Amino acid sequence: MNGASMGRLVERGIITFSWLAGAILFTVICAVTGYLCFRGLKTMSPALIFGSTDPMSALLLRQRVFDGLFPAMVGTLLLVLLSVGWAIPIGTAGGIYLAEYAGGGTKKIFNLLFDLLAGLPSIVIGLFGFSLTLFLNRHVSKELHPCLLMSSIALAFLILPYIVRTTQIALENLPVQNRLTGLAMGATRLQNLFHVLLPQALAGMVSGVLLAIGRCAEDTAVIMLTGVVASAGVPRSLLSHYEALPFYIFYISSQYADQQELATGYGAAILLLFICLFLFAVAFVIKKSLPCQVFSQR
Amino acid sequence: MQSSTQPFVPSPVKIRVSNLFFSYNGREVLRDTSLEFPEHAITAIVGPSGSGKSTFLMTLNRLWEELPQCAMGGRVEIMLNGIPQNIYAPDCGVEALRRRVGMVFQMPNPLPMSIFKNVAFPLQLAGEKDKNMIHRRVEETLRDVGLWDDVKDRLAGSALSLSGGQQQRMCMARAMILRPEILLLDEPASALDQKAAEAIEHLLVRWKQNCTILIVSHYLDQVKRIADSVVELHDGRLRNRQVSTSRVSL
Ligand SMILES: Nc1ncnc2c1ncn2[C@@H]1O[C@H](COP(=O)(O)OP(=O)(O)OP(=O)(O)O)[C@@H](O)[C@H]1O
Ligand SMILES: [Mg+2]
Repeated sequence: MNGASMGRLVERGIITFSWLAGAILFTVICAVTGYLCFRGLKTMSPALIFGSTDPMSALLLRQRVFDGLFPAMVGTLLLVLLSVGWAIPIGTAGGIYLAEYAGGGTKKIFNLLFDLLAGLPSIVIGLFGFSLTLFLNRHVSKELHPCLLMSSIALAFLILPYIVRTTQIALENLPVQNRLTGLAMGATRLQNLFHVLLPQALAGMVSGVLLAIGRCAEDTAVIMLTGVVASAGVPRSLLSHYEALPFYIFYISSQYADQQELATGYGAAILLLFICLFLFAVAFVIKKSLPCQVFSQR
Repeated sequence: MQSSTQPFVPSPVKIRVSNLFFSYNGREVLRDTSLEFPEHAITAIVGPSGSGKSTFLMTLNRLWEELPQCAMGGRVEIMLNGIPQNIYAPDCGVEALRRRVGMVFQMPNPLPMSIFKNVAFPLQLAGEKDKNMIHRRVEETLRDVGLWDDVKDRLAGSALSLSGGQQQRMCMARAMILRPEILLLDEPASALDQKAAEAIEHLLVRWKQNCTILIVSHYLDQVKRIADSVVELHDGRLRNRQVSTSRVSL
């Protein structure tokens, strides 16, 4: 066998392998969603969400929903929005600092620290949130208990590394030429950052936010230690207990009484998927309508 | 060409470079270069590829400071608003300097925004708010570089969709829109056809009334057509290479 036909064989092998990898991924996605739908679709109805309560009065928060997933959905949604809300400004600023301003030694140390933070198991972050709550309860205010606020803060720590990293990498991967262009025209570093670099890095940064949203929506370990409960209704304030879909799924799957109850667990999983899809869509819309996009219409 | 036939007419010095050293990661690119560039003249910089021509241009607007691990030694003085200024002095504002010393890069570098935005960008960065003035300037400058007729119907279109030569001219317009005192051009005509290149050459000759131009070029006939003097970069040193003296020294 000569070199050329050997090379062709290798190339064909690589192509086959790539196809296979794609096919496996596709099959897994189909299998998971398909199984979820198979087990959970029959429970999908307004009753799954609102139970026996009138949907309208539940939505307007006039009546508490006892036997539906509405409070858990609201809890998850609020949790994600709050955590991402804390993490985006801090994480973006951190990423910008690392990419644009940090020099040699500081940068190395921060890189290491963020890698460590990214590698922390979520149960450890949960423990941290729990200890923080205890500490605050003891030394700041007796009113502070595990609650929505504490959960969202702990979760923000969990997703901070994603946002820092994607911001940093998106900025650092911009070609040197692009960086010099604005500066050569007399832009200050800040102007260059806001008018030239960030608009170009935005696409990369949004992917970090998407990752973060997914992570927040699915996490169970952190919230279990910092304020989620099986039954609390729609949270009335940042300082109250709350319900969340992943915790409900965990709770149901570990102690369901009958098949009917287990099916609602699958229903909850489908709802969680839809909430994630919805949040992703919102993230895309926000990205599209950001004011700096005016500067960078491609 | 004119100046070489009248070598004794002193023209005021616009840029004075003394004992310039430059290195990337400790590797020396420019060493002990001292030279003066006359005002209202076109000086061509020639030299083999990789000899440091682009690097030299970056020492004149301090752009190299944005690159990692570079070092420079020596002194650069530029006449700004009629006053000689050490551009590396701590009190010299680097943004103001770069507005007075325009630069066109070797590779066309349109920003990912519309053509209009690209050309108007330096004005906006400088804080210009007057919309009418910006529009007038953009049109005028695009006409200068011979691009207006090509793009007047697609000013809102992306600058990335322009051809290489069009991008080059757009970048020249962008560098000129602030009416700088010095223009640093790094092979501005490399992607242009004969006609467009000649148009640019005419333009440069016209611009030098208000502007001091340094142009890096690999095209000797182009250099001969427009340059008042030629500087050669060799072995990290810049040397004047006027037609009359070059025969003696080389
Ligand atoms: N950012 C950089 N980091 C390290 N070395 C660099 C960098 N930029 C340029 N150099 C090196 O410095 C030397 C001079 O480069 P420069 O770009 O100034 O050459 P040039 O004369 O403009 O060449 P050309 O005619 O090909 O454009 C080259 O050897 C190049 O490899
Ligand atoms: Mg060059």
